[in-house]
Amino acid sequence: MVILKLLQSLVKALHSEGTPGQVAAGMALGAILGLTPLLSLHNLLIAALILMLNVSVPGAALGWAFAIPLGFALDPMFDALGRQLLLGTPALVPLWTALANLPIVPLSNFNNTVLLGSLVSALVLFAPIFFGSRWAVRRYRATIGERVRNSALYRAVSASKLYGIYRLFRPET
Amino acid sequence: MKVAIFRWKAIVPLLLFLAALVGAWLLFADRLGRLALERGGTAALGARVAVRSFHFSFGGGSVTVRGLVAGSPFDSMQNLLEADELTADLDLLPLLEKKVSIDRLAANGLRFGTARTTSGFVPSSGPSASAQIMANVKSWAAQPALQVPILQLATGKLSVDSLDPRKLQTVQAAESLAARADSSRRAWTAAFDSLDATTTADSAVAFARRLQGARPTDLALLRDARRMVDRIKQTRDRLAALERGVKAGGATLDQGLASLQIARRRDYDFARSLVRLPPIDATSIAWVLFGPEAVGKFQRALYYTQLGRTYMPPGLLPRAHDGPTRARRQGATVEFPRAHQPPGFLLRDAELSFFLGGDSAGPRRYAGRLQGLTSAPALYGRPTTLEVRAPTVTADGMFDHVHATSRDVMGATVRGIALPAIALPGLPLRVTPGRGDVSLGFALYGDSLRGRWTVSAPAATWQRDSGAAGGLAADLLWRVVSGIENLDLTAELGGTLSHPELHVRSNLDQAVSERLHSMIGAEVDAAESRLRVEVDRIADQQVAPLKAQAAQLTAEANARVQQGRKALDAAQQQVEQQIRRLTGGIRLP
Repeated sequence: MVILKLLQSLVKALHSEGTPGQVAAGMALGAILGLTPLLSLHNLLIAALILMLNVSVPGAALGWAFAIPLGFALDPMFDALGRQLLLGTPALVPLWTALANLPIVPLSNFNNTVLLGSLVSALVLFAPIFFGSRWAVRRYRATIGERVRNSALYRAVSASKLYGIYRLFRPET
Repeated sequence: MKVAIFRWKAIVPLLLFLAALVGAWLLFADRLGRLALERGGTAALGARVAVRSFHFSFGGGSVTVRGLVAGSPFDSMQNLLEADELTADLDLLPLLEKKVSIDRLAANGLRFGTARTTSGFVPSSGPSASAQIMANVKSWAAQPALQVPILQLATGKLSVDSLDPRKLQTVQAAESLAARADSSRRAWTAAFDSLDATTTADSAVAFARRLQGARPTDLALLRDARRMVDRIKQTRDRLAALERGVKAGGATLDQGLASLQIARRRDYDFARSLVRLPPIDATSIAWVLFGPEAVGKFQRALYYTQLGRTYMPPGLLPRAHDGPTRARRQGATVEFPRAHQPPGFLLRDAELSFFLGGDSAGPRRYAGRLQGLTSAPALYGRPTTLEVRAPTVTADGMFDHVHATSRDVMGATVRGIALPAIALPGLPLRVTPGRGDVSLGFALYGDSLRGRWTVSAPAATWQRDSGAAGGLAADLLWRVVSGIENLDLTAELGGTLSHPELHVRSNLDQAVSERLHSMIGAEVDAAESRLRVEVDRIADQQVAPLKAQAAQLTAEANARVQQGRKALDAAQQQVEQQIRRLTGGIRLP
């Protein structure tokens, strides 16, 4: 079921009406959701951005789906990175201290090693993911995209009810 | 082709989504608060914390918790405390900084040490602060200085070592005296031989016979007669001196014989020392019986103190603790306290209403006050204090983590309350102190420890578990303690965390020791009598012949003195009689 949904997201994202840039931006934002712990305040902001900005929601879902296992796998690295930033870098302590005593900001749990490490990593990876996925979507559409669009599988997916919901949030070109 | 940046038609669904999110949060806020309190409390305490209901009132800025139950980290089937209701007045603004600031807390219906129906222990899900503290405290209590030896009361039988005659002072003194008697005999014999009074007397008698045929004009013979008389006198004087020597020697032998009695009394003491009593050390009895309970009390106090030091650390440095439990890795959450800012948690003032005791009149209600409980004492600037004042209960606590060296002091005294039973380790016995007084004091300055636990119960009762054997030690102890009603117990802890010292004493110490001694007293008396007879037998073998030898020696010496004196007197008389005949009674120059 999970694989089917992943496939559905992949197909929808690659064949949506959005430009490769919109799909790539969606994937980059979705990757932030997947790389960082989901129930965090910053992810509410990311979700709002995905909905409000004219990016590909299926692209975001695809980026999220791909980034979730990656996030779990890289948690030890995120933990180490966050620990280094929070505890191992004295120069940053005044910054963290200031943030920790501001309203709202502490609710983001930024002072958690895994969260901070994963968030910093996701932000650093945002640009590579964006440009990488934009190039990949372009290449896909230029090569095998049309053949896939005419395939029975694509028609079955696009005829489903989920596709109707998707159309509500499809990128405006 | 220009692409729009915003998707305006998503605003309404987004607002609806946010509204649903807020609605869900409001709907489930109480449940989330309850879960957060249970999870946080369990993680912090190291035992299960459960809450029956949790209500967060935004309008009133208050939180009401009902049915709080916190398990004991030391006893799976006992609660640390139960609370009927906790009502906290919250400052709402600090919540935006993820800080909890409680102006006033009313805790009603607190109960301590209540029984549980299910285990309050929580399975360890990794290294947590409470688990680490518990491991450290258990390691502390396992130090050799706090380990209680197994009870060994008079379990061995009375033992009597063999009596070695060579070690008896009577025998040694008798042998020495016999040698001195032999020496005296030889000396006196030599003196008598050299004096040779009989020969002198015989010579004088022979000379007197020569004088019978002499004439008065034979002046040379008369001079010789005078010389003979002088010689007899000299010999008598030497004999008198020898007689004095014999008397002195006899007196010395008599003294030696008298000293044998003193030696014999010492031999009796020596023989008594051969009777070995079973090991009964009065000072260790309380340590053996109540040491584990005392260690347990201080161990708990140390655990909660260390827990306080962990969650209320001094200073303003960043401090890390375990992150929230979730599917992803927990990580560590780092606190960054800042001067002149409110701490992450602050309870300014708490009014405590709690129940203690459970006798025929039912549990009694008491009141107390807790002030300044905070996660950052350096920011609050004052120590946490606890105070309970009631006619029969006094409790004070001061947890000063404001400065670099933490100082934790707590003490409580409860009078006239039903005290819980104390099980004696390794024995099927336990004592129920009944109504009495109990006090517990504990202080930790840096790593320096001070503790004192006292129990005073005038009507204690003892119970023996039926069916449990327990051995001779338990039988003996049961016979002793079952008749003792008064229980006074004091345990004192000192030293440091790494080198603790514990002393335990009670009124049972001397009572148990005396009772055990009296129980084996008859056996001791019989053994001592047997040894005394043996000492007499061995000593008499030596002393009786020595007495006869000394008496014989003295008698022989005296007889020889008398014999010599008699011969000399007779010889002198004969010589002087012949001199008077020759001189006609005229005294010659």
